Order: sequence, then C-alpha cells, then structure tokens
Amino acid sequence: MEKTEYNYDIVRSFVNWSIVWGVVAVLVGVIVSFQMVEPGLNFAPYLTFGRLRPIHTNAGIYGWGVGVIFATFLYIVQRLCKTRLWSDGLAKFQLWFFNATIIASAVTLLLGYTTSKEYHEMEWPIDVMVVILWVAFAVNIIMTIIKRREEHMYISLWYMMASLIGVAILYLTNSAAMPVSLFKSYSAYAGTNDANVHWWFAHNAVAMALTAPPLAMFYYFLPKSTGVPIYSHRLSIIAFWSLIFMYLWTGAHHLLWTPVPDWIQTLAMAFSVMLIAPSWGSVFNGYLSMGGQWHQMRENYLVKFLIVGITFYGMQTLQGPMQAVRTFSAFIHYTDWIPAHIHMGTMGWVSMISFASIYFLIPRVYGRQLYSIPLANLQFWLILVGQLIWSFSLWIAGVLQAGMWNAMNPDGSLTYTFLETMVEMYPYWWVRAGGGLIYFAGILVFIYNLYMTVQKGESVPSAAAFAEGRA
Amino acid sequence: MDLASILYLGVTIGLFAVFALIVIRTYSKKRKERGEIAKYRMLDDD
Repeated sequence: MEKTEYNYDIVRSFVNWSIVWGVVAVLVGVIVSFQMVEPGLNFAPYLTFGRLRPIHTNAGIYGWGVGVIFATFLYIVQRLCKTRLWSDGLAKFQLWFFNATIIASAVTLLLGYTTSKEYHEMEWPIDVMVVILWVAFAVNIIMTIIKRREEHMYISLWYMMASLIGVAILYLTNSAAMPVSLFKSYSAYAGTNDANVHWWFAHNAVAMALTAPPLAMFYYFLPKSTGVPIYSHRLSIIAFWSLIFMYLWTGAHHLLWTPVPDWIQTLAMAFSVMLIAPSWGSVFNGYLSMGGQWHQMRENYLVKFLIVGITFYGMQTLQGPMQAVRTFSAFIHYTDWIPAHIHMGTMGWVSMISFASIYFLIPRVYGRQLYSIPLANLQFWLILVGQLIWSFSLWIAGVLQAGMWNAMNPDGSLTYTFLETMVEMYPYWWVRAGGGLIYFAGILVFIYNLYMTVQKGESVPSAAAFAEGRA
Repeated sequence: MDLASILYLGVTIGLFAVFALIVIRTYSKKRKERGEIAKYRMLDDD
C-alpha cells in the first residue's frame, strides 16, 4: 500500500503551544490560590484575584485543554483516516489564530473587560475570533474525514465530530449579544433565561470540550499504548450515543433552588443521574480493555496515566450526578466542595489523559525516544499527589463550610457569621495552595523531560521516518 | 394538553425511538462482526 505523508509539523506546534498555555494556567492558578490566603499579594488593578482568576480558568480550558484537543485531533484524524490533513494552510492559520485569540483574551481580561459570564468572560470581538477559529478547525477535520482512505470509523472520530458540532452550537447560542461598544455588549437573553442559557452552555462546554475530546484521546491512545484493542467497539458506540442524547439536558442542575422553573431543574437532575450509565460505559470499556494486561500498569508509564485518568473520570461522573440531586446540592452548592470537584476533572481526568497523549506524541512526531521514563513516573506521582491534596483539602473545607452555614441556634438565628466561616477556611486554603505547588512541580518535570527528549533524546531511525510523516 | 406539550412529548418519543433504533442496530447479531472491525483496524497502521 502506498505510504501516506502526514503533517506532523502542525501537531508539533500545537503540542508546544498548548504546553505554554498550560504552564500559564497552572502558574496563575497557584498565584491566585496564594492570593486567597495572603491578600497582600493582590496588586490592583491588574494583578488582583478578580482579574487573574478568569485568566487561570480560560488559559486552562481554552489554552491548555483546547490546545491539546487541536494537537491530538490533528494527529488522530490523519492516522485513523490514513490520509493527510485536508488543508495544511488552514491548519497553520488555525495555529496562529489560536494563539492570537488566547493572547487577546488574556490582555482584555487583565484590562477588566468581561461579560461576567463564568467560562465565557471574553467580550464579543473575541467571540467572533473563537467562531472563526473553530470553523477553520472543524472544516479541516470534517473534510479530512470525508476524504479518508479507511472505511471503518473508529469511535474516536465519533467523539471528535460530536465535539466539533457541540461546541459550535453551544458557543454561538451563548454568545448572542448586543454590542454597544468595541469592548462592551449585553446578553441577548434576560434574567432567568440568561442564566439558563449560560449554564446550559457552561455545563455542556464540559461535555463537548472536556469530556468528548479526552474520551476520543483515551480510546485512541489506550490501545495504541497497550498494543491490544479496546474491549468492545459496540459498547463504545452505545456509550457515545447515550452521552450525546443525555448530556445536553443537564445544564440546569447548576441552577437548583433558583427561580428557574422546577420542571427544568427536575429534568436536569434526572438526566444528570442517568448520565452515570454512558460515563461508566466508557470507564468499564477501559477497564475491561486491560483484561490480561494489568501488568502494564507497572511496566508502561503511558498506561498508568491513562487508567488513572479514566478512573478520575469515573469518580467525577459519580460525584457530579450526586451533586445534581436537590437535597445534596442544597448542602454543598456555593461551597469549596465545588472547585474541588471541578479540579478532580481538570487536574485528574483531562490533564492525565492530555499528559499521556503528549508523551505518546512527542517521540513519534520528533523521531526521538523519550529522554527519561523515571522522570515521567516522577511527574505522574507529583501530579497525582498534588491533585489529591488539592481536592481533598477543599472537599473537607466544603463540608465544614456547609455545616457552618447551616448551623442554627435554638431561636432560629445563624450560629456563625459569614466572616467566621471564612476564617475557618484558611488552613484548608493553605493546604490547597501547597497541593497546587506540587502539581506545578510535576508540570516542570514534564517540560524538562520533553525538552531533553527533543534536544538529546536518542534518535530512532524508524521513528525518524515516522516523524517526517513517511510511516 | 396544549399544543406545546404535545410537541414536547412528540420530540421526546421521537428521540427515544431514534436512540432505541441505534441500540438495536448496533447490537444486532448480523452486525456483530462488522461493529467490531474498527477496533482492530486502528491498530494496523503505527
């Protein structure tokens, strides 16, 4: 069969830039965690918690998360379709427009321009940039799939297409706004409707940007790393369609006990609980794929990242539905429990899969063996321990906080003032900041290992051919 | 039941039917082998 020449230049570039934005996201995260315990570290007006926090979240989601999506999708689509990208020029445009969009977002957020919608803070000109960027990406991936030379479509391609379509619908709907100046706009929706549309967007951004793409990566990189196929392709298809049918109904669980109509809240609650089934369909598929291969957890560092990553996904998708139940939500919503939940997903699930994907890609697209497997193992333990410290400290803090908020005296007055509950949080916030530092140390080890791989890693002739896109 | 409720019910039943058809098709005995080919094919190339 004629060898296909793949475009790995673009994969290399996206991997490198996603790491840059990942470092920014984690570094700013560590800074804001210290700002919470040491208010003197806030330097008004630009370097305050209020301005840096959205930079942390947006750099994390759109710089690191989406950057890795771009890198891995552009790689996976070529390999699974056995054909080169539809347009190299469009991919290059996408790379530089991606960086321009992230930089414009960071600068405007630092200057204080914000829509005040969480995870969608950027003002309308940047919304336009995001739409152009996503269309360029989607067209290239879909056209590559259309011209594929492999008849059968592996499950990763399904998740990729869902992500492309899902993000487009969500982003366009939630971006609807009336601009009144270059950096100010007002939402097209009013009051409760605005909140409902926004949390429909925000929760499904988790679905279409932070669930479907990592699942595409997991389903691709796990069998590639173990050398054995997934347990059941048909199970993966059913889990995929179940996820697609159910996820888009769950956003209103962010608005339990609010003026949003009760039936919408109940609908969101019910679908959130049902979502356990497709989520665990993928988790079980991952575990069962390891049948007879569990020894690779000791021997193969990639498998370690991937299986612990899917385990975090499993935990995340049990905890999430639990939080979406009204009674439990009444207790923990608005407490520190929630960021602990989110960070188990981002630092555990999404990033573990992303690290594994990059470890898989770098030797192949640069044609060099990984510089140090012990360093990769060290990074694994640093980010695992850092993440667990991070989340456990805030889970405990969240329960304490909820307990104090709900405590009442016999006469019905509140036992604690809000300030008293804040003071109780400080020890946990210190521990959380420490966990963040350990995680950041893991990121530095990761970068050093990759840098040394590119600079000094042993060149492998077959891998070199692979790197040139001839394999 | 007003028109909007009937429409919601219709969409719900329609979506459920589509989902049921996907499950039946995916797990039909006739398609068993074909449904699993992709997981082997993806291991071919690297």
